[in-house]
Amino acid sequence: MNEKMKNSFLAWLFVFSGVVAVPHAAEAHHGWEEFDSTSEVTFQGTVTDFHFTNPHCVVDFNVKDEKGQVHKWQGEFYSPFELGRKGWTAATLQPGDKLTIAGHPAKNGALAIHITSIRANGKEIKP
Amino acid sequence: MSLGSSSHLSRGLSLLFLAGIVTAESSEDGIPVTDPLVIAKCGTCHASDERGNMQRISWARSTPEGWQDVLKDMIVMNSLSVTPEEARPIVKYLSTAHGLAPEESKPVMFDAERRVREETNIPTDTLRDACGKCHTFARVLSWRRSPAEWKQFADSHSKRYQVRPKPEAEAVAFLTKAAPLHTPEWDAWNAGTGAPPLTGRWLVTTAMPGRGQYYGEMQVSRTGEDEFNTSVSLTSVKDGSRLLRTGRSTVYGGTAWRGRSAGAPISPDDPSSDAREVLWIAADHSSAEGRWFWGQYQEFGFDVKLRRPAAGPTPLIVDRSSLKTGSRANRVRVIGQNFPAGVTPADLTMGPGVVVRAIVSSSPGEIVADVDVAADAQPGKRDVVLRGSSSVLAGAIAVYDRIDYLKVTPESAMAAFGDPAHPRGFQQFEAVGYQRGPDGKVHTADDVELGPVDVTWALQVFHAPEDSSSDFVGKMSPSGLLSPSTSNPNSNFDTWVIATARDDKGADGEPLVGKAYVVVTIPTYVFNGRQYVRDLDRWVDDGPAPH
Repeated sequence: MNEKMKNSFLAWLFVFSGVVAVPHAAEAHHGWEEFDSTSEVTFQGTVTDFHFTNPHCVVDFNVKDEKGQVHKWQGEFYSPFELGRKGWTAATLQPGDKLTIAGHPAKNGALAIHITSIRANGKEIKP
Repeated sequence: MSLGSSSHLSRGLSLLFLAGIVTAESSEDGIPVTDPLVIAKCGTCHASDERGNMQRISWARSTPEGWQDVLKDMIVMNSLSVTPEEARPIVKYLSTAHGLAPEESKPVMFDAERRVREETNIPTDTLRDACGKCHTFARVLSWRRSPAEWKQFADSHSKRYQVRPKPEAEAVAFLTKAAPLHTPEWDAWNAGTGAPPLTGRWLVTTAMPGRGQYYGEMQVSRTGEDEFNTSVSLTSVKDGSRLLRTGRSTVYGGTAWRGRSAGAPISPDDPSSDAREVLWIAADHSSAEGRWFWGQYQEFGFDVKLRRPAAGPTPLIVDRSSLKTGSRANRVRVIGQNFPAGVTPADLTMGPGVVVRAIVSSSPGEIVADVDVAADAQPGKRDVVLRGSSSVLAGAIAVYDRIDYLKVTPESAMAAFGDPAHPRGFQQFEAVGYQRGPDGKVHTADDVELGPVDVTWALQVFHAPEDSSSDFVGKMSPSGLLSPSTSNPNSNFDTWVIATARDDKGADGEPLVGKAYVVVTIPTYVFNGRQYVRDLDRWVDDGPAPH
């Protein structure tokens, strides 16, 4: 390790959580402040893809509304390192898995949530 | 002078102190230092014992990059005075006499090759937090030290960088076992080192994301005991275009190839670009592998393999990586050297369920065959074997029934806007097809990689309104190169890089889609009065913020 690297990862976390005072940082990589933590929504859906990727893992899932129209949603949560410590892998969620998924909705109306809980195929998976 | 210590002891105190260290370290045999320049430059602070062991240095081994970092540290922290002409032979001597055996350096090569890799071999959370926050764990494992030296290093390193919680005991317990000074590999290798026999002709196969495979030759000529000039000629498997590169290289310790080469580049991702060469040379000097790379963030590069030519027929590469079950008359090119005249279908095999129906043409450097695949062939990798050849193209072709998903690689990445002081950081992506494998699940270890898939590319900022443009962040080229916008918006953006298959469809009948998560970042930022710049997948402290 050289002198340059001191505190680098901490800096990474700060800049990518929107905490650091970078100009327009709040508009940068979305921290969870893009989601309305005072509200929670729950969906029944079907997994279309699972991205076990940095900096956040993402679940793509379809939700069918009462008219039968399918909407493509995106659920975001922990990093692979954090999920890995809880026993998750890239294969934990498979396309076609039935989900009950809850989370804080995006403030701007995008079809995205910050996941707070997932139940897949009738079994609860706690992030 | 001390390795990794931030304090600069006065000369008199240090000699007294170091004399004690030499005694303590002597419980394990050190590696005597015999180079006059190293003794002259380092001996001022590093005391020697009667056997030629120099304090700390004699109980440590590392890669050229490891010793180079230490030398820089000594110059910056301890006011060591060396010229560039002196520094080069010092690093060369230390990474040879105090280097790593090929078996020791191979697992950590990706660090010197500047590859981003998720490390799964960090034994505890404490060490992940203590080491992994600032650098790769491979950088730790690129050193070998005695127990006393690991303890002293861990203590001083932890103190210097204020690591919390204190990891020293855990680190020393692990590293004294995982990375000891004396190993059978080192004893065997060190006994045989000398001028490496690398001159002459080498066969080269390479792959560059977005550009595909190349094959060709490298001529190596000696300019010093372990210094070489190179001339490389490569041909693209995809379009037949030619590349010519010339370069120079130094080989450290008979196994660590470090060089530079260049051609005539016309764009940032041009494979003729000026490149750093990092190769691992096998112990028997018959093969080598590594990466040639360039770019502001070393984001461009070739994966390179070298091998010595054999006297007999040698298949090197196949122009396609997968074949579909039930398909007929697939045209397959096998490229190599010394192919015999009169090759017949019976001479070429590609495994169960794959039948070479006809040899369309053959020459000493290429065999073109028509191949059928049985409808009930089991999906999986197949070896390509040419009768009379001692080499096999292991797993060169995959048989598949359908492409189950697209993986866009790298699956998570960074790119960067530029500013007047920092060129843009690009990112090359590739869409690779996969078959689900015997377990029927996707993203598991038995999935079968099928090779690049023809796709169209798009960029989409997270949470952006539907049908909005993401051009203000950057654009994707037809070959999957993300070029961030030339104007720096002074913000970071989470984006999806989206690949949509032109021809291949999923089980739902829709075109297959794969996505990678890329954060397009600002080039620098300021926090608590310090400026941070990007280094691969980390941010590093670049010193006080400019006013």
